[in-house]
Amino acid sequence: MKDALPLRAPALNIPSPGDTSFPACTRLSNGVPVYLIGNGPEGLIRIEFVFNAGQRTESVHLASAATNTMLTEGTYLHDAASVNNLIDATGALFSPNADKDSAGLVTVTLTRKLDEVMSLAEEVLFHPSFPEREFRMMKDKRMQAFLIGRQRTAVRAREEFYRALCGDETPYGRVTCAEDYASLSVSHLQDFHSTHYIPRNMYITVAGRNPEQALPLLERHFSGEGSGPWSKPVITVPLFSSASPGVIYCEVKDSVQSTVRMGWKGITRDHPDYLGLQVATMLLGGYFGSRLMRKIREEKGYTYGIHAVAGAFHGIGYIAVMTDVANAWREETVMEIRKEIARLQRDDVSDDELQVVRNHTMGEIARLFDGPFSVADAIKGIVDYDAGHDYYTRFAETVNNITPGKIKELFNTYFNQEEAYVIIAGTA
Amino acid sequence: MIRFERHTLENGLRVIAHRDEGTPMVTTNILYDVGARDEDPGSTGLAHLFEHLMFGGTREVPLFDVPVMMAGGENNAFTNNDFTNYYITLPVNNLETALWLEADRMTGLDLSEERIMTQKSVVTEEYRQRYLNQPYGDLLLLLKPLAYKVHPYRWPAIGIDISHIGKADTISAGRFYRKFYNASNAILSVAGNIAPDEVFRLAEKWFGDKPRAPRRRRRLPVEPGQNERRQIVVERKVPSAQLIMAWHTDGRNSRDFIVLDMLTDILSGCESARFPNLLVREKEIFSEADIYLSGETDPGLVIFSGKLRNGTDIRMAEEAVEEELFKLSAVPVTDAELEKARNRYESLRLFSHLSASNKAFNLALHELLGDAEGINREKERYMSVTAGEMAVTAARTFLPSNCSIIHYIPEEQ
Repeated sequence: MKDALPLRAPALNIPSPGDTSFPACTRLSNGVPVYLIGNGPEGLIRIEFVFNAGQRTESVHLASAATNTMLTEGTYLHDAASVNNLIDATGALFSPNADKDSAGLVTVTLTRKLDEVMSLAEEVLFHPSFPEREFRMMKDKRMQAFLIGRQRTAVRAREEFYRALCGDETPYGRVTCAEDYASLSVSHLQDFHSTHYIPRNMYITVAGRNPEQALPLLERHFSGEGSGPWSKPVITVPLFSSASPGVIYCEVKDSVQSTVRMGWKGITRDHPDYLGLQVATMLLGGYFGSRLMRKIREEKGYTYGIHAVAGAFHGIGYIAVMTDVANAWREETVMEIRKEIARLQRDDVSDDELQVVRNHTMGEIARLFDGPFSVADAIKGIVDYDAGHDYYTRFAETVNNITPGKIKELFNTYFNQEEAYVIIAGTA
Repeated sequence: MIRFERHTLENGLRVIAHRDEGTPMVTTNILYDVGARDEDPGSTGLAHLFEHLMFGGTREVPLFDVPVMMAGGENNAFTNNDFTNYYITLPVNNLETALWLEADRMTGLDLSEERIMTQKSVVTEEYRQRYLNQPYGDLLLLLKPLAYKVHPYRWPAIGIDISHIGKADTISAGRFYRKFYNASNAILSVAGNIAPDEVFRLAEKWFGDKPRAPRRRRRLPVEPGQNERRQIVVERKVPSAQLIMAWHTDGRNSRDFIVLDMLTDILSGCESARFPNLLVREKEIFSEADIYLSGETDPGLVIFSGKLRNGTDIRMAEEAVEEELFKLSAVPVTDAELEKARNRYESLRLFSHLSASNKAFNLALHELLGDAEGINREKERYMSVTAGEMAVTAARTFLPSNCSIIHYIPEEQ
């Protein structure tokens, strides 16, 4: 394709991933790791508190997410209205977030308000009171959102996929039902909080100009010894379910489109093929000009978008292709996805196509490390999954050195047509 | 303060350059002064369909995305009622690739029958995915024609009816292209670690030979003042009711816009704001209650949107919202509320200026609104808003006769 570019095209500089060095790590006196990410504009600082308190660690379903949401709903010092008023008065943004493998709080604040904001962060993270009234309102609100989610084909297909892959009994695969909300109580949250939101279970990232300035405040608020010194979290790893592959229909009444989600059991970050698999899925459906976007969107016009991804939790990896299409086109879409995979299993990708993916990935990595706030996001994935400080250096190397033969081998190993789970959520 | 320089080419292309030394990337943002408001009422959705066609390739570059990716870049675009915006972010040493691609598709687009057919189908699926296959997805489609009777804001960017897209062909697309896609109808904004003079030199190199087209004068029908309360009730298969109320206000450049932007932040911008605090937490009428500006260039709307808690009467909910809004004209907002809104404005402004691509877009937007320098005057304009001004603007805006209401309620099972 390079050769096909006309003469008017300007000279191309091969993109480089730029500086992907891992930020410095220091520790509070109790051992809590603090990653310091410098540079960026004056005046604004982002501090994130990450706990090993994701969905994977809960024994009562919904406890992780509910505990996280309730952090800012009242503390032992202030009721919900007062604590929110104090936070908002500083102009800071407080975003509690709970994921499958971690949970915590992102704060972004004017540097001049850092003192007040860290004091409030300690208060909501370590001293929430989980008042009954706010708890009931939170449950009602989540229940309402849950009922809306029942009508979304994309939500239903995603749930059914994880259920098929991970099984109904594991935190990764379990599908929420209405009764889960009814049976959840404040004591579940208190239990979850007291065992998970503790210094020994956390790390902190500080992103902005002169990040060191936050250290004395972090020491003051987060070095409490009450729960013992920091220790590396012990991860209990769930296993794949024994559900057999094949087509799974999920009825969503009166939908005008269906979500098709086709997927496979995958591999985790420590597997030698993990980075290569990232390249393979990118070729298949990881960018606008990918095989599937060209075929299903730009040639057939069946969909607004189609994407492929290879990801991993702890102990469980997955590969998924997802798209929303008109009900009438979903079988044909599955057939076209299968055909495209068969082609990649049979024929070598061209050097030109591979070069596009190479250059694009270098640009992607450079963007991930563009500015301190972005770096904070990028390193979270590395720290949470212990992926290695040189993860992106190795990724760049893999992308640059992978051969068409290896890519064909990856498609034959990981995209076995008989082992695919095909979830179709929509109206029959 | 965002430093930038401006230069206009002979052919009318306006170029803005902002140097940001903190990033290895550069963003080219090209904004075309054409949006859904410029469409014929009989063929709505064309501006947005055209945005899709702009990725369809030219004689010189058959696959638009390939050179962008070869240069390590990413790109996207969006269309709204007012304008169509395209951007490419790539390593700064490949800036020329982005300029070449934008210059190339400004005049060389391949508008074949086949390309148009496919994108009509893609846009139809986009319409289904965003507006029909989502609970509450059609609210905007209902609100626009209720609030506007004359001005083209009466249809959303996707179009009045998706059948309009079906009628587009090579002739209508070609006419649209020649009329709206030219140098004098565009603003090019570049942000990254590059000297403004170099940006201007490269802009001349890649865009200098584009023909000069006469600058269009936009003549849109003016929406007459609303003087009766409008209301519709729709039943849909949703789990809970939603209340929408919308009031006409002034355009993006007006003082009222700034005043209402601050006021709506006090009402619902954060968890401790009035609506979440009073209507959600205290009175438990809504599970979510939000009020915001639609944000258009021409006179737009202030929109309240609230999801009702099950069992709440929607008429009662509506009265509760009105009561809060009427209070605003009688009792001024407190100093603490004003201080909070100012601090939040400052944080959010710094946050949005972190990224060079955001700055590139915002500079282009302000230039479209009349003057890119507006980006630096904005802070002062927001900080100077007083409680008294808010009371006066609220009294003028939140009138029952200026309000359009939608009761979006669950179908009886």
